[in-house]
Amino acid sequence: MGKGQPSYTDEEFVAAIQGGDDRALAQLYRLHLPMISHLVLQNSGTEDEAKDVYQEGVMVFYEKVREGSLELSCQIKTYLYAVCRRLWLKRLAEKNRFGGRLEDHEPYLETGAEADVDQAEERDQRFATMAEALNHLGEPCRSLLEGFYLQEKSMQQLTAEFGYTNADNAKNQKYKCLVRLKKLFFTHYKEEESF
Amino acid sequence: MKTEADYYALFDAYQSGQLPPEEHAALERRLAAEPDLAQQLADFNELTATLHGYGRRLTTRRKLRAMQAALDVEKAATEAIIETGYPTMPVMRISRTEQHLREFWSSHRATIAVAASVAILAVFATLLGLEMWRTAQQKPSLYGYTVLRREVERIKRNQRAMNKALTLMDEPRPTEEANPGKFSGTGFALTTDGYLVTSYHVIQGADSVLIESRDRQRFRAEPVFSDVAHDLAILRITDPKFNGFGRLPYSFKRGLAELGERVYTLGYPREDLVFNDGSLSARSGFEGDTGFYQISIPVNPGNSGGPLLDDRGNLIGIISGRQTDVQSAAFATKSSYLMRLVDSLATAKPAQPYNLPRFNQLTGNTRPQQLRKLQDFVFVVKVYE
Repeated sequence: MGKGQPSYTDEEFVAAIQGGDDRALAQLYRLHLPMISHLVLQNSGTEDEAKDVYQEGVMVFYEKVREGSLELSCQIKTYLYAVCRRLWLKRLAEKNRFGGRLEDHEPYLETGAEADVDQAEERDQRFATMAEALNHLGEPCRSLLEGFYLQEKSMQQLTAEFGYTNADNAKNQKYKCLVRLKKLFFTHYKEEESF
Repeated sequence: MKTEADYYALFDAYQSGQLPPEEHAALERRLAAEPDLAQQLADFNELTATLHGYGRRLTTRRKLRAMQAALDVEKAATEAIIETGYPTMPVMRISRTEQHLREFWSSHRATIAVAASVAILAVFATLLGLEMWRTAQQKPSLYGYTVLRREVERIKRNQRAMNKALTLMDEPRPTEEANPGKFSGTGFALTTDGYLVTSYHVIQGADSVLIESRDRQRFRAEPVFSDVAHDLAILRITDPKFNGFGRLPYSFKRGLAELGERVYTLGYPREDLVFNDGSLSARSGFEGDTGFYQISIPVNPGNSGGPLLDDRGNLIGIISGRQTDVQSAAFATKSSYLMRLVDSLATAKPAQPYNLPRFNQLTGNTRPQQLRKLQDFVFVVKVYE
């Protein structure tokens, strides 16, 4: 890492990432990639799969940190390992290639990571439903809502883009779209829930 | 009447605190009073929260992808430098194939090891299982005489050591060092001019048969006929230097011997002639085989083919085998069967006729006298394979 980049302790990492410091995140990302890469490669995975799993794992960590709900009882490294291990186990189970045991090379501890992964999964589910609902919404509602919520454009910008006469019109349109989205979202969501 | 969209506008303003204070208070009162409205607000919040979260998630994912891409680029750059930058530095070069092989080995070595162990185990288990199966197959033969005889053939070919366990009379005896790999039994003269009798299993599978008398004279002989069912074999001496046994002192009994008769035998269970006696204990052999007598003579490997005589010097049987799980139960083929065999051979007009002895010179003699006359007509039958 000796490239003039600041080195962080675990606490500093958490603090920096919580404060939205992308450089800290990048540094963290770079720091633990080899470990997960090794784990996945050792257990019948490819490099690309390793990257996928690692990104998922970092995502779980990142979202917890941003929410401020992370209760770290161990090192970040151990936490990430536990999360990625769990994620990779799931992938393997999906591929039906899991022989019942992973070859661990890091000390594997019971951390809160398992619960966090489950929670993240539930959230994934919800986001997937949302993406589905947005896809079904149709234009221009979809672009409008995506512009406002996902790309975080201002109302004025959107008014100009969509050619509304004034911001109030755009706003009204947005609310109508929201109502339609709500119907789509909740029917889908409830359907999946009831499964 | 407000539409749902209007309510959303209201909620939005309420959440962001842009409502005038009195409207704010009014809405709060309504929310407390109307559960439907509260539910609508909750739905609205969930929807917007999910949307925001989804947006953040997409942003984060893009960020992470960018980081990964940056790392990949960096890695590619470092690799390029190692390959080209310092030509004098020792760089470990691994061909693509070798790299693949190494990866394969490192990721699958556990599986390969397990597979190899399983293969080895399977091989040994199969071998062991086969061996056990074969031993199990042989087990009954330990108790079966007729089965035992059949076993002889294979065992003689395969395993000399096995013979001991099977207690055959023609067990290989590690005798003279000059003649390795040979079996021996006992035989006795049938006629004066060179016919001999022994047990079939003694000469079974023989390449050549040698007859050795008590005074160490040896004659070459060949099997003339064998009766597997009654364990009989007739040999003829083919040696040119042979000039007859002389007059046979015993005669052959055509009828059945009596139960309880005192009987004895002479044989070569070792290098010297050995005498043994006992009684005729049953008029049937192993498992009721009527071709045999049961006798209470302790016989040993090598006694096979020996003559069984009664007190008056009548030859009544040919020693054949013994039962392992019964105390002192030996078996001898009845002489009546030998006679029937000789008769049927004689009707076929052989090159050399069968001149069976008519008179018995042993009757009335004491046992030692009988033996002295008898000993020159009992031979070692040596078998080479």
